[in-house]
Amino acid sequence: MIEFKDFSFRYREGEAPVLRDINLSIPQGCFVGITGAAGSGKSTLTYAINGIIPHCYPGDFYGSVTVDGLDTVESSLTDISALVGSVCQDIDSQMVSTVVEDEILYGLENFGVPKEQIPGCVHEALSAMGIIELLNRPIDSLSGGQKQKVALASIIALNPKVLVLDEPTAELDPASSVAVFQLLSRYARQHGTTVVVVEQKIALLSDYADLLVIVDGGEIRFADVPEKVLAHSDELLALGVNCPRSTTLVNQLTAAGLYSGPAVRNVAGAEKACREVLEGQL
Amino acid sequence: MAKFLEYVPGTSPLHLMNPSVKLICAIILAIACFCTTNLAFLVLLLAAGLALAAACGMGRATAGLCKAVFAFSLILAVVILLTTPYGHPLVPLPWGIIGTGSLLVPLTVVVRLMAASIPLFLVFYVTKMSDITNSAVKQLHVPYEYAFTFTSTVHFIPVFMNDMSAIMEAQTARGVEFDGSLAKKIRLMVPLCVPLLVSSVRKTNSAAIAAEVRGFNVRTRQSGFKEYPLAARDYAALAITIAILVVAIVL
Repeated sequence: MIEFKDFSFRYREGEAPVLRDINLSIPQGCFVGITGAAGSGKSTLTYAINGIIPHCYPGDFYGSVTVDGLDTVESSLTDISALVGSVCQDIDSQMVSTVVEDEILYGLENFGVPKEQIPGCVHEALSAMGIIELLNRPIDSLSGGQKQKVALASIIALNPKVLVLDEPTAELDPASSVAVFQLLSRYARQHGTTVVVVEQKIALLSDYADLLVIVDGGEIRFADVPEKVLAHSDELLALGVNCPRSTTLVNQLTAAGLYSGPAVRNVAGAEKACREVLEGQL
Repeated sequence: MAKFLEYVPGTSPLHLMNPSVKLICAIILAIACFCTTNLAFLVLLLAAGLALAAACGMGRATAGLCKAVFAFSLILAVVILLTTPYGHPLVPLPWGIIGTGSLLVPLTVVVRLMAASIPLFLVFYVTKMSDITNSAVKQLHVPYEYAFTFTSTVHFIPVFMNDMSAIMEAQTARGVEFDGSLAKKIRLMVPLCVPLLVSSVRKTNSAAIAAEVRGFNVRTRQSGFKEYPLAARDYAALAITIAILVVAIVL
């Protein structure tokens, strides 16, 4: 679905490449979590998928990035946008309307969705995000979590094959962050949508992602299922990625030879692992 | 309380009017204010504007705007007062006089600016931005790029105002005191324009990219989903404002 082949990129005003020798293959319907320290190149990686580079931020682009067979350099931003829906980091700047309904309508109108289909698309997108009651609300009156859901709804109304989200929970409280990920995950499963999320909260990512990508200094250090990536908690910490304490604890048990199962993603997994260790000791 | 130039939902007759007609009527009323020097007529237009704002629940917001326009026009009024030597001399000046007529001209300017600005501001309080854009594109045949740029500019004013107050709050938290004379306030605020400018450029760039990745470039005149039919109230409003313009020209 999404293919990075020997991809490197340097922003026009930058001295060194932001991303180097990226090779990554993301299958259709995969939920991908990208994380890494600040300035590691996470956001640039998503810009390569939605065509923001090189179309909006020009620079030296090496290798190739294809989405569903579409080369992101050769294709126009509009063609890429019909395939890839993007939610930016700064939600307030992304809003082009003053009322929720108009925000959802914006993309549908632009892409020329037949008028008889538009009410159904609006209803479906708002229902998928659980915010149908917000239809006529001014955007300014919404909370951060609600705005995030509106931004997501405005993109999924277009039924893209790929969803790209740049730190969607950056300004949300923990409960709202989990709610957004739950909705996103459910929607992606139901529609077979490929989701690429840049996120600092690795605990949240590892709970939902099928593929976890760790970026450091413009290179991909790890790209595997969360259990396998989280098994390297010490190396991740050195890269500036702080794994959940439950993961670190179980990894230490593994290093001490007390536990031989896979790395755990959360407290529930750690509890299970600890029980196994304790039962083995008795 | 409505925020500066931000749409407030409602069901008043003004809310229900056609967006293009609202915009045209507001422009005609503003032109009418500049076509007359009759102070009584201008006061009448100002009162009518305030009454209209109150009728659609925007009385307080409009009064606040009037205060801002009044403060701005006062500067203009002082300049006019000192440079318009009309009527019976009241105060001698080194370069002329302040006469009885000199008082009337600045007063007219203040009332005119307030009366002209109310209908224009009111349009944004009672109309969704997207309705103004779509209606202007569909009915007035304004190119979408221009209509969108105009409404986006207005849309960003409160955003930048919020940014400015956030920057000022951050400075206050670091011990900067913005209280005091106007000169001191200006001196303290000028350096804040740099972070505001940086933040504005960043936000505008994000907004442009967000619009582009949602098909801004493929939009056509017929893309708008909503239709904006003209109703009897729209024709009536147009007739009334044209009549006001005629009266203003005659007076």
